[in-house]
Amino acid sequence: MSARAAGPEARAGLLMAAPAVVGLAAFVLVPFVLAFGLALTDLRLGSPLPTRFVGLHQFARVLTDPVFLRALLNNAVFAAVVVPVQTGLALAIALGLDRPLHARPVLRTLFFLPVVLPFVVVAVVWELIFAPGPAGPANALLHLVTLGHWAPVDWLHDTRYALGAIAVLSVWQGLGLQMVILLAGLQAIPRTLYEAARIDGAGPLATFRHVTLPGLRNVLVFTVTITTILAFRLFDQVRILTRGGPEDATTTALYEAVAAAFDRQQVAVGSAMTVVWFALVLAVTYGVRRLARGRGRT
Amino acid sequence: MRGRTRIAAALAAALGTALVAAALMLPAACTRKEAGAPAAAKGAEPVTVWYHTGRPDERDTLKNQVADFNGRQDRYRVELTLIPEGGYNAQVRAAALAGDLPDLLDLDGPLLASYAWSGLLVPLDDLLPEATRADLIPSIVAQGTWPSGSDGRLYGVGTFDSGLGLFADRAAFAAAGVRLPTSTATAWSAKEFRDALAALAAHDPDGQVLDLKRNYRGEWFTYAFSPLLVSAVADLIDRKTLTAHGTLDSDAAVGAMTEVQRWIQGGYVDPNLDDAAFVRGRVALSWAGHWEYGRYHDTLGERLAVLPLPDMGHGSRTGQGSWQWAVTAKAKSPEGASAFLAYLLEPEQVLAMANANGAPPGTRTATARSPLYGPQGPLRLFAEQLGTASVPRPRTAAYPAITDAFQRAFADIASGADVKEALTRAAAAIDRDVADNHGYPVSGTP
Repeated sequence: MSARAAGPEARAGLLMAAPAVVGLAAFVLVPFVLAFGLALTDLRLGSPLPTRFVGLHQFARVLTDPVFLRALLNNAVFAAVVVPVQTGLALAIALGLDRPLHARPVLRTLFFLPVVLPFVVVAVVWELIFAPGPAGPANALLHLVTLGHWAPVDWLHDTRYALGAIAVLSVWQGLGLQMVILLAGLQAIPRTLYEAARIDGAGPLATFRHVTLPGLRNVLVFTVTITTILAFRLFDQVRILTRGGPEDATTTALYEAVAAAFDRQQVAVGSAMTVVWFALVLAVTYGVRRLARGRGRT
Repeated sequence: MRGRTRIAAALAAALGTALVAAALMLPAACTRKEAGAPAAAKGAEPVTVWYHTGRPDERDTLKNQVADFNGRQDRYRVELTLIPEGGYNAQVRAAALAGDLPDLLDLDGPLLASYAWSGLLVPLDDLLPEATRADLIPSIVAQGTWPSGSDGRLYGVGTFDSGLGLFADRAAFAAAGVRLPTSTATAWSAKEFRDALAALAAHDPDGQVLDLKRNYRGEWFTYAFSPLLVSAVADLIDRKTLTAHGTLDSDAAVGAMTEVQRWIQGGYVDPNLDDAAFVRGRVALSWAGHWEYGRYHDTLGERLAVLPLPDMGHGSRTGQGSWQWAVTAKAKSPEGASAFLAYLLEPEQVLAMANANGAPPGTRTATARSPLYGPQGPLRLFAEQLGTASVPRPRTAAYPAITDAFQRAFADIASGADVKEALTRAAAAIDRDVADNHGYPVSGTP
């Protein structure tokens, strides 16, 4: 390729990338740099006192704050449970739908529906499902399934169950997105590979391991990455249903950052929390990618 | 804004775009500008007014008042902008950073001190006519005065206040044989209240007899339950020294909150997920504000009784405070803003608003003439409580941190946490915020 030909092409490329790059810079890069800058001060929303530079004091403060550490732990536990469960379930449903079914469009829509429901609606429904007492649907169902051995619990106000309850509804709501992406990935695997596997005498399990999974690898890596980021972003459910309680059992890093910056007007503290959170998500995402790439080489 | 360096101002402005941007986008998109009277005189001085989109009846009344005010005089022309309640405070704060506040705006009562401390408001003492100020009920004056104490000035004025108490179903109480206290002097003691719950529960199929509005979110818990602390001779903070340690985590506070925990953990409290525990007859007692009177009265009629909150030892106490009007420091027309505010405080206008939203009127004249709160009104208890048994939430710029800490503590206590531990943690969080702000010096410099 000659330099002459590359010129206009490169320019066109830059031109086409420009809207996205400008958007990323304005809404991700600049706010992050600003947040980092704010985290080095003692800025407080609406304070008439002069803002002072305090160095890394706010970082030391949030990293020794038991509530924020609990929030990070909750984030980690939530992601460690939700990412494999949600991806696994989404894959299972996608596999089930990846066959010539008349009802496929209908089923696909049904599984996708929770994704497009506004969370405020979802919250109302699940708050009722998790209603305390024997009449609450979740308690009633478990009572039925365990043949009467289940003692009713107050799901959202019990330190033992609150995070689990939020994980369940999050999986239910997020599932559809992964399912649709994985289904598209499944349909992109050439049918000829399956025919060749059948001729070679491979059973369903061997076909899954040696044809489906390798064919789906990139899509799976993408799905896991996206799910991990979304899991760490956990906020809406907590804000609407539990406000981080009871006893910080459901608080998350983002919830704490918003509570600090907007509920308590401690902008610098909130900024420090978002910087820590962002660095953590970046590290985890990078880790997931490294893991996936490493496996790909072997 | 004095004492603020240029860098700090730049940071603050940047903050407006960075952190508040998301919060702003939605409210900004649905902010509606209400046109002033189209036929307004050309020479009239514009007066910009912001109001939170509260209840539809409140909004419509204010729109009528704006049109009426613009029509009856031609010196000022009020331009009203309605801003959704959800993002109201964030939007006002962001506008303040951008130097973009209107002449007159309304604020949720307990946040007033925070705005006044920020230097965003001007005192109304010299702006409002003497007669208008003299007509205000004491609770409105108390809530709008900052700092509390003798050197306080009036920064905010509500045209209505709020009333908090217990709503009871007389029939259920008659069946259980429990007396109904109807004045603050005869309020139930903590023990009597516990006994009443037990007696009612004996006649109730699921044993849940009390609604604490646990379905509400946020400010409700501080508004509705911090009066219990004062009744037990504790408080959210020591109002003189601004410290929470020794007050919020005192034995008296622990005792009062342990009492609340007993009601909830004892199974007496309905979770009220549908906000209909009382109107559906599931409970006989509802801890609620004046805004529930209409709905409750429609359902229960003459069976509805209005009672004071239980007495935790040193007299029944209750909440107070609602949205308040304030004139901003950068108002282009403070005279126009206060002229409109004085108009809103005329007895007919106070009554028009109070009749529309059902809240206790903010002036003595209007209270005397109110069908709900007047001497013969069914809610006269609420009017009597205001200024005698009602407690303003702490008027300090630390309030956002105070209420956040107490709400968390309340939620933890309600779900069974150790009361002393929860309150100690809340007190520490408040004290740290006060220390971070160098004790919130009133002069503006530490």
